Amino acid sequence: MEYISIIILVLSFVTLLAIGVPVAWSLGIASFITLLVSVAAGPSATTIAQRMATGLDSFALLAIPFFVLAGEIMNKGGIANRLIELAKSLAGRLPGSLLYVNVIAAMLFGAIAGSAAAAASALGSILGKRMEIEGYPKELGAAVNITSSTTGLIIPPSNILIVYSLASGGVSIAALFVAGYLPGMFIGFVLMVTAAIFIKKKKLPAGEGVSLKEFGKTFFRAFPSLMLLVIVIGGIVGGIFTATEASAIAVIYTLGLSLFYKELKIKELPSILLKSSETTAIVLLLIATSMSMSWVMSSEDIPQAITNSLLSVSDNIVVILILINVILLFVGVFMDMTPAVLIFTPIFLPIVTELGVDPVHFGIIMIMNLCIGLCTPPVGSVLFIGVQVAGTTLEKVIGPLIPFFIAMILGLIVITLWPGLTLWLPRLFGLM
Amino acid sequence: MINHSFKIRLDQVVSGSLVLLMALMVLNVTWQVLSRYVFQNPSSFTDELSRYMLVWLGMLGAAYVAGQDQHIAIDLLPNRLVGKSKMKLMILVNVIVLFFAFSVMVLGGINLVYITFILGQKSATMQIPLAYIYTILPVSGLLVIYYQIFQISNHYRLYLS
Repeated sequence: MEYISIIILVLSFVTLLAIGVPVAWSLGIASFITLLVSVAAGPSATTIAQRMATGLDSFALLAIPFFVLAGEIMNKGGIANRLIELAKSLAGRLPGSLLYVNVIAAMLFGAIAGSAAAAASALGSILGKRMEIEGYPKELGAAVNITSSTTGLIIPPSNILIVYSLASGGVSIAALFVAGYLPGMFIGFVLMVTAAIFIKKKKLPAGEGVSLKEFGKTFFRAFPSLMLLVIVIGGIVGGIFTATEASAIAVIYTLGLSLFYKELKIKELPSILLKSSETTAIVLLLIATSMSMSWVMSSEDIPQAITNSLLSVSDNIVVILILINVILLFVGVFMDMTPAVLIFTPIFLPIVTELGVDPVHFGIIMIMNLCIGLCTPPVGSVLFIGVQVAGTTLEKVIGPLIPFFIAMILGLIVITLWPGLTLWLPRLFGLM
Repeated sequence: MINHSFKIRLDQVVSGSLVLLMALMVLNVTWQVLSRYVFQNPSSFTDELSRYMLVWLGMLGAAYVAGQDQHIAIDLLPNRLVGKSKMKLMILVNVIVLFFAFSVMVLGGINLVYITFILGQKSATMQIPLAYIYTILPVSGLLVIYYQIFQISNHYRLYLS
């Protein structure tokens, strides 16, 4: 029985996607059609409607609109520029420094703005111009920008980790946030090493050194934005407030700061609120329909069927983790990150926890894995934005991108096989 | 109703509600923190209220974004087609979304509102009937239907010309 459901679910979903029905609606329609196999039309429609509404009824999810809003406000204040200046003074006189600047700024900006797409577009447009003046190959810059923009999704605060916490049935957000630091920075480091190989080969120009005084100045200018990370993460880890409350504080803090520095006028607020509601609504509909799909799958015993076939291959933890990673890489190529997390966490998490993997560790593995999908055609949103802001074409970028893909996959293997890298920090803080 | 001025006015009403919801949500959660730390008197309703506002923001926002045609889609196939066959495919996509909005959001939603109303289900702390909260489903469903019809008529006009 469950095999018929799986076939109907997958076929209807893939067909809808292929003809261009938006992903969020495709998820809802495919769940509705699958449920119709075993349940009458009336109750099916009511159940899907109810699952959509209750799927959003979560206090933890509220952090998503608030972090989006805080990021939107900060963006108005030109935070990208300040973080780039700071990263520049850190990279100093190194040859090819602009590539390192891009990675460091992406890690900082992605963490604060919480969106890989926003990081790729803001940093790509500012740094792309500088790189062009200094004679960097456009495609190389785009490849670095695209891949490094995803690090901000692992480095906290991160909305996708909140989604994972929801999908996993309540893994601690504080633990996930703290766990993201080392793997996120590790990936940034791996990307910089890859960039270094190119820099040597292409003999790229050195950056300008800065005096200690200038460094102090740029640090002071970036300080209020960095303080936000301290307040948010410190507050959550210290148990002062929940992730959702921290995100609301982040909104008030950034708003106060932008008004104080006169970078934002009160009358601009409605348009910022609308822009962030739109961004949020896109994610929220994905969550609502993914939650109904996840519910339909478990009511049709689909996760159990997948578990059985996976465990029939092997019950060795390393083999299973590699298998799951391969499946997720494939999924990530075709599916957006949010539905992938919501649909596949309930399927894979029980298998791996039974084999002894920590749920926090698995969350970081999963997000890291799906980050790679953001940089691949045909649906990689970050890839398209990165290519667009660099003013080049997909075909030209693919070449230089490949080494960075390989670097990310190697990084993913290390993160998967070395739980200590992820779990050392949250354990140190006593969060798990 | 299929003219642009009606859509613009409708967009204004919906976007105005979204801005208001978003602002109230921020104030609400900020109040939750303040009431706990500053006034030492944790408020009981903020948690529930903000969750329900999120459901409303999600559903209403989803309809608004559908009206702006901003939901993420894979457009490899539509981009390969040109002229009339492209318009036919776009109309098909609109009809499929319309079908979902009508059967699940409007009919399923109305049924859900009806059932929770009959059963008299109420929220845990504020004692709001859950039926009121679920009304956003059929309302958003109707908005999605309107926006799909609007887009279909645009595509059809292009198809004819």
